[in-house]
Amino acid sequence: MSATERVLRRRRSSIQGSRLARYAVTIVLAVIAILMFLPIYWLIVTSITEPEHAFSLPPEWFPLHITSASYASSFDLIPFAVQIMNSIEVTTIVVIGQLLTSSLAAYAFARLKFRGRDGLFTVFLVALMVPLQVTVIPIFILMRTLGLLDTQVSLWLPVLLSVFGIFFLRQHFLSLPDELEDAAKIDGAGHWRILFQILLPLSGPILAALAIFSALVTWNDFFWPNIMITSPDKMTVPVGLVFLQAGLSGAPAVVVFAAIATVTIPLLVLFLIAQESIMRGIALAGVSR
Amino acid sequence: MLSPSVLLYIAFVAMPLVAAITLSFFKWDLLTAPQFAGLANFVELATDGTTFRAIGNTFLFAIATVIFHMVGGLLLAIALNRPLNRLLRKVLSAAIFFPVLMSWAAVSLIWRYALDPNFGFVNYYLKQLGLTPPNWFADASSAMPSLIGIDVWHSLGYTMVILLAGLQSIPPTLYEAARLDGAGPVRQFWSVTVPLLSPTLLFASIISFVGAFQIFDPMFIITKGGPDNSTLSVVQDVYYSAFRDFDMGYASAKSLIIVAVILIVTMLQLRLSKRWVNYDK
Repeated sequence: MSATERVLRRRRSSIQGSRLARYAVTIVLAVIAILMFLPIYWLIVTSITEPEHAFSLPPEWFPLHITSASYASSFDLIPFAVQIMNSIEVTTIVVIGQLLTSSLAAYAFARLKFRGRDGLFTVFLVALMVPLQVTVIPIFILMRTLGLLDTQVSLWLPVLLSVFGIFFLRQHFLSLPDELEDAAKIDGAGHWRILFQILLPLSGPILAALAIFSALVTWNDFFWPNIMITSPDKMTVPVGLVFLQAGLSGAPAVVVFAAIATVTIPLLVLFLIAQESIMRGIALAGVSR
Repeated sequence: MLSPSVLLYIAFVAMPLVAAITLSFFKWDLLTAPQFAGLANFVELATDGTTFRAIGNTFLFAIATVIFHMVGGLLLAIALNRPLNRLLRKVLSAAIFFPVLMSWAAVSLIWRYALDPNFGFVNYYLKQLGLTPPNWFADASSAMPSLIGIDVWHSLGYTMVILLAGLQSIPPTLYEAARLDGAGPVRQFWSVTVPLLSPTLLFASIISFVGAFQIFDPMFIITKGGPDNSTLSVVQDVYYSAFRDFDMGYASAKSLIIVAVILIVTMLQLRLSKRWVNYDK
């Protein structure tokens, strides 16, 4: 075997080796993905399996004894439909409210000139270091004094301000050239028109990222409603789920699973439809924090 | 235009922060009048073994999850950033990312049952493989590692997506140049990927740490902080003082620990990002 042949053979085998390595990485990735999804698949399959077969071991990975009884029980045991509506209402109010207050404030910080503007902005940024877990006690006392405990107002009013949203939108507005507005200003457009007709239409992806991020946080929050709410018919979904499992001694695990699946399956469908934009939104909001 | 935000800021950030600091000098059970207590709450805090335990637990949780998120998220992001079939990439990233969208409440309940010693499927398969499953949440030695594992399952996709965005912003010409200079994949990783990704890595570890330091839900829902306070988190400790013991002053004093830690970490971030992070692009 000549030296050239040996080099060629070695190169060929290293190319084959790297192709093998690439397949191996893909296979490992696929195994991880399957393992990650397995608990969710188990949740859904268990929730539609007859209670006496639901937790048999090994699990019935292909459901043979299908029933919707557990779903019916979960809606009987707690006012789950009302709780889902509560979550939808609170999330909608918070998302729209945060987008509105953030847009207005971001415009002021990016475009208006007034004394103390940058100082005030810095004061706002301090809020990023003060999480709700610290302000919860005074806000709880405030809500109690105002008689707002156990109401929906106590869930959305304190989180209507999003300093992150202001920061994020301000950065975006600063990146848009002033010339965009000059023509409108000559035509006599005021700040509100400039914001709503020129800047915001150019901020689609940013607003979408903010909306996805804030909807996710609000929809999934457990800490805050767990403190503010005590009546089952005022609860949001996460608190309702835990209440179903722990608050009423006796909801069987399958019923809890059915309740979790009731909110997880629509989320999964929504995610599969809008996967690209949801992941891009989360990445965008995440990277700029 | 600023007035709604300024009003909300005063009502729900500034005043509560000042109130929390003020309250930390008082004793108040919400029923009788608040009583000035001087530094009593802080003296109590300095000798409170439970709170120290909670601080230790929370640091352990936060540091461990940050390490797993960064290493795991980076490996997954690199694996997904290779040339792959589009549909395959979509399916794989969807499966890994989806848990991020679920609430901690749902995640905690699912894993509580999945790791149940009697009817959980995890123990069943571990036994099939001839392994002895740990007692998961029932042992003080395995409860915290179990919670850390659940967090990695829940939030790994978040770190992955952020790092993936970081990887995609590295210009491919740099890799071409490195290849022409004879750099192999390992050399490319250390000489191109790591330095150019370092701002994203630093940033992702900071938000991951700050988020993890405020952990509450899984401890509250699954372990109640036990067994033997081995999973009690700082926020949970504050919660129990305020809403179980109705000791508002003491709870406020404890909650200031969270502000202090976030403040220190943020300062550290600013320092570090000046010193070793490569922002040249």
